[in-house]
Amino acid sequence: MIIEKVTEIIVNIAHCKAEDVKPEKELSALGLTSLDTITMLFELEEAFDIDIPNELIPSIVTVGDILEKLEGVKQPA
Amino acid sequence: MKNRRVVITGLGAISGLGINAEYFWNALKAGRTAIKTLDLPIENIKMSLGALVPNFDEKKYFTVDELSILDRYSQLAVIAAREAVNDAGLIGNSSILQDAAAIIGSGCGGKHTDEATYDQLYKQKRKRAHPLTIPKGMPSAAASSVSMHLGIKGPAFVLASACASGSHAIIQGMMMIQSGVIDVAIVGASDAPFTYGLLKSWDALRVVSNDTCRPFCADRSGLVLGEGAGILVLESETHAMKRGARIYAEMVGCGMTSDAGHITRPDISGITRAIEKALHHAGFSPNDVDYINAHGTGTIINDATETEAINRVFCHHAKNLAVTSTKAMHGHALGASSALELVATTLALHHGIIPPTVNFTVADEVCDLDYVPNEARVKNINAAISNSFAFGGLNAVIAIKKYN
Repeated sequence: MIIEKVTEIIVNIAHCKAEDVKPEKELSALGLTSLDTITMLFELEEAFDIDIPNELIPSIVTVGDILEKLEGVKQPA
Repeated sequence: MKNRRVVITGLGAISGLGINAEYFWNALKAGRTAIKTLDLPIENIKMSLGALVPNFDEKKYFTVDELSILDRYSQLAVIAAREAVNDAGLIGNSSILQDAAAIIGSGCGGKHTDEATYDQLYKQKRKRAHPLTIPKGMPSAAASSVSMHLGIKGPAFVLASACASGSHAIIQGMMMIQSGVIDVAIVGASDAPFTYGLLKSWDALRVVSNDTCRPFCADRSGLVLGEGAGILVLESETHAMKRGARIYAEMVGCGMTSDAGHITRPDISGITRAIEKALHHAGFSPNDVDYINAHGTGTIINDATETEAINRVFCHHAKNLAVTSTKAMHGHALGASSALELVATTLALHHGIIPPTVNFTVADEVCDLDYVPNEARVKNINAAISNSFAFGGLNAVIAIKKYN
């Protein structure tokens, strides 16, 4: 469920193919600009009802980094 | 490089009268009003009338990605700017556009974006604001958007002086060309004020009519809001001639004053001085002027004060002038009105047709000029002025004449 929601959010923002959204893939390689990434973080916070601190942003490079940060959070509404 | 002549070579207009300058001009000639009963998903407002862009579908003009960072007021600015630049024959001319200016006026800026976020935060109690709220809603967004969409890389900024914003932006462009800073300026204004907060705020001022806008009439009952954008391409005469551009008119002068008085009540002295300064700057005597596109909001005090100012400046010639308010057709689109009105004035001069003051019933006894009631008039126009008198006592008058 989490990977599906993350994929949906990234696809909506980057207009990439869902099958390209893989854990090892870098967000920039999917077409996300820095502003897109900020928008993605907003959508993730909304979907999972979490707060992603600014300090974590530099460590979010790949799709897998997002999934790692989301480990243990509740399923999206 | 100083005091170069400035000409108007491109026009763009999106308003309640339609999506381009052709619709705009055809409606003005026909005396057709865009004022209609408001049909908005907004409850609990007293205002019942408005002039919105008809059947506006932003997806026809922009991609989903582009729309994600375009407030409605930026959308309107880009559409009108694109039309004006195309009309001037400059679309895709990167060598010229890269040095051009984009100076856009706005009375209220990106209010759709701001209010949507405030609604989410204050009313819906959402925890966070959308991250694009700032770049989409910032007051300067329209200039940035016009710059990005058209490849304009010279000076670009938004200028605010309420209902005179468009005139001040146009004057700024004119002066930058006159002084040799730039050769080409894309100038005008955009406003999209149909938001819950703005409509409630205009309700509160009690200057909005709920029957219609009837400038200069004895039974006038206030203004009616509109939305839109008017954009002009200004060029140095030399630049326009060199590339064989069509020239609509020459922009010859401006008058700018401030009332330093009341925040809403117009001041006869400030208005009179602005008109006098525009004539002086243009090298006009009062007798030279054929047409005035009035500020003409349809409020009791504006129309009486503006009429008195025109009588003071033009004396016996005042009765020979054609004085019309096109706001009764495109509505009062705040800062954008002054730009739409210079587009109207330019087309009036270019075609030799004076757009009427529509919805005209009976003239107020203190409004004693020729307001060209209800029907357009064929008349050769050699020189014209466009008046804009904003809240806060910020006055701007632009003088244009036939190019020869």
